[in-house]
Amino acid sequence: MRSFSPDRRKFLKLSMAAAGSSLILGISWSCTQDTPSNTDNQSDNFSPNAWLRLDPDGSITVIVAESEMGQGPYTLMPMMVAEELEVEWDRIKVEHASLDPVYGYQLTGGSGSIRKGWSTLREAGAVAKELLLGAGALALSVPVIECTARLGKVVHNPSGREVAYNELTDIAAKQPIPGTAQLKEPNEFTIIGQPVPRLDVPEKINGKARFGIDTKLPGMLYATITHCPVFGGKPKSIDASEAKSIKGVKDVFPIDEGVVVVASDTWTAFKAKEVLSIDWEYGNKTRISTESIINQLKARPLEEAQTAWEEGDVETVLSGSNAAVTAEYIQPFQAHVPLEPMNCTAHFKGDGRLEVWAPTQSPSSAYDTAKAIVQSKIERGLKKVQKKLLGIHDDSIDVHTTLLGGGFGRRLKQDYVSEVVQVAQRYEQPVQLVWTREEDVQHDHYHPLTLHKMRGATDENGMLIAWEHIIHGLKVNASGAATLLYDIPNTRVLVQDIGAIVPWGPWRSVAPHYNIFAVEHFFDELARAGNNDPLELRLKLLRDHPRLSKVLEIAADKAKWEARPNGAISYGAAVLSEWGSNVAQIVELAETDNKYFQVKKVTCVIDCGIVINPDIVKQQMEGSIIFGLSAATKSKITINNGRVDQSNYHNYPILGIHETPEIEVIIVNNEEEPGGIGEPGVPPLAPALANAFLSATGKPIRELPINIESG
Amino acid sequence: MQISVNGKIHNVDAGEETPLLWVLRDHLGLTGTKYGCGIGACGSCTVLLEDEPVRACLTLLGEVENKKITTIEGISPESNHPVQQAWEELQVPQCGYCQSGQIISAVALLSETDEPTDEDIDEMMSGILCRCGTYPRIREAIKLAARKISEQRINQ
Repeated sequence: MRSFSPDRRKFLKLSMAAAGSSLILGISWSCTQDTPSNTDNQSDNFSPNAWLRLDPDGSITVIVAESEMGQGPYTLMPMMVAEELEVEWDRIKVEHASLDPVYGYQLTGGSGSIRKGWSTLREAGAVAKELLLGAGALALSVPVIECTARLGKVVHNPSGREVAYNELTDIAAKQPIPGTAQLKEPNEFTIIGQPVPRLDVPEKINGKARFGIDTKLPGMLYATITHCPVFGGKPKSIDASEAKSIKGVKDVFPIDEGVVVVASDTWTAFKAKEVLSIDWEYGNKTRISTESIINQLKARPLEEAQTAWEEGDVETVLSGSNAAVTAEYIQPFQAHVPLEPMNCTAHFKGDGRLEVWAPTQSPSSAYDTAKAIVQSKIERGLKKVQKKLLGIHDDSIDVHTTLLGGGFGRRLKQDYVSEVVQVAQRYEQPVQLVWTREEDVQHDHYHPLTLHKMRGATDENGMLIAWEHIIHGLKVNASGAATLLYDIPNTRVLVQDIGAIVPWGPWRSVAPHYNIFAVEHFFDELARAGNNDPLELRLKLLRDHPRLSKVLEIAADKAKWEARPNGAISYGAAVLSEWGSNVAQIVELAETDNKYFQVKKVTCVIDCGIVINPDIVKQQMEGSIIFGLSAATKSKITINNGRVDQSNYHNYPILGIHETPEIEVIIVNNEEEPGGIGEPGVPPLAPALANAFLSATGKPIRELPINIESG
Repeated sequence: MQISVNGKIHNVDAGEETPLLWVLRDHLGLTGTKYGCGIGACGSCTVLLEDEPVRACLTLLGEVENKKITTIEGISPESNHPVQQAWEELQVPQCGYCQSGQIISAVALLSETDEPTDEDIDEMMSGILCRCGTYPRIREAIKLAARKISEQRINQ
């Protein structure tokens, strides 16, 4: 145990006005880590962002403001509270926070939830425990120093008398926030570090889990939208006569983003969408294609690039070297394709309130989006809706966050919120907007296409003496490429960004996904050019990064790198140190009789500091490897005439169970601060696979996805 | 039209060409069956039609009149089908959206195969997509469920 002094401005103890009340503890925490700078609404004011509620019936509810999209916050956040509160895990319930400005900016992304909550949620549990200890001592009329909190009870040690937490909520609510409280040391943890079952699993195996698309409200109308096939185009004229003749179709009209059909049910709306005849104003992006973008990236003069990192004198060493190695890598646009298509439900109520039910990674951003629409409509003076809209105040927009059927960054964007609010303002009834999968694939905010130009040189011993990485792409940065972790005397990383000429969005693991591929595959190219074993060379050049070299050593040991067979199976390794975590992956690639290749096994070692729940870490690593393998071997968005060529899972395929290799995950235990787990497992997969191909065929990979059948 | 879902008869006011998926979701409020692609490419909408797995997005209302339909809501009274037990024990779901289709397909597989091999699993499950990547656990959970079912038989 170690003592800390709770910041009394940080904790707020609330009791319900009624007798027999619950003890409610509000917690203020900083959420700057994942908050976009332009929307940072931090202030010195008290701003509780997570809540703990002890009800007289004995249940303990942790209210979580992070969106649950599979990555586990509905379980992980309560675990941290329960640990310090000294309660049995099976009494813990979870509720999603409603949207309220006092919660601060709600946004889930950047593998940040645990890192954000680590101190605050444990402190909240510890403060609540201290309050209950004080209340228990009062109830038992004994000195608090003689009491211990254990399994949801306050126990008077000398006499063995005890009183349950739920009998103490009234008294505890009247106690002041304590001057000191105790936090456990890692070796005292009994919940943190355990593979406790996820709280969201029971409802996810019987069809009861409610995702955004499952929102059902009385009298609800169903809408769908067709966007202009060309990026940025607008509807010019619409012939909806055939659509409107379908029974159940209520209306067809244009909004800013496209043409909307409103109907009595989803299928009727989808059917009507198919028979709309729309004349589009395509705008100025009709000549954009994958090829034109690559040409644009290649043609950009180097002088325009921004220097992200520079050390030593790369130019002199490279021009003086007769062993310079060069490479270019192209990685395609990727779509997110979460299984739950984009959707949102909104209701302008008779009392002037707007309610929104959104499967979103950022309820706060959804709120901002809804508010902006409402305000801009007022300013544009649309008479038909003006009266209704004038009744809408800033505090009268509610966003209810549902479960998310996958996020992967897609649901950080709020286009579906903007659209449904524009539609719902025309109706008294609630309206649910559902996109078809085709709209989802063709109107995503894509992981950008990137081109990486690499140059490097080795000395006579094969040691790396120069490294240059130029990252070209759409809204790109150097994260994962600079600072380069390898100990190389002359290094330079440049970024040449042409901006988001097609819709851009964060995609699971964002910039490190494209940069780590280039870094880690080029490392192997250079190692081989200098006749070095890439694994040994990595370990040598990572000696200043003990946590990272350790995960690589363990991975090599587990995958039996030393004893790897000659010929039939090829190995490739890659590493990453981002989001506070260190990951090494080793891919085993088998060559079959017909000169086909098959990924046999992926060994993954992660050091994410203190592990909250090892089974959820394992889930995230398994899922990340499969996500990475989809992008590395199957998925690719291409553009022609300003339109996306792909439209659904048949032509934008993702990995299936039959293509999934054996995956072994090893978690390194230590007492470092917890790191993120949602993203770090994705980036090493593609370069580890490319390195295995390089080992198998002697040929480097120049473009993703890799043709798994032939390399 | 009359259809039988999870042992209950429902009257549905929808055209014969309406996909069963939308009848279940929008007309009957059985939202456990999910829309993922609409073209039979993702498997999230898989239901049992006379105990055979079908994609509800491609199955028309007119084809299912008076046939027995089972959805995720109807496979067990208390979420205690051996497949559901195995899913919970091995903590399969992440986001959970595709899991109805996965579980229904696993139930179908185990109703025709006592001890499914990896190839059997691939054949039945390869069309049921999961973006979170729960496949390794799905494979293990199917094998665990198979053992549970055979234990139940022995105990009976």
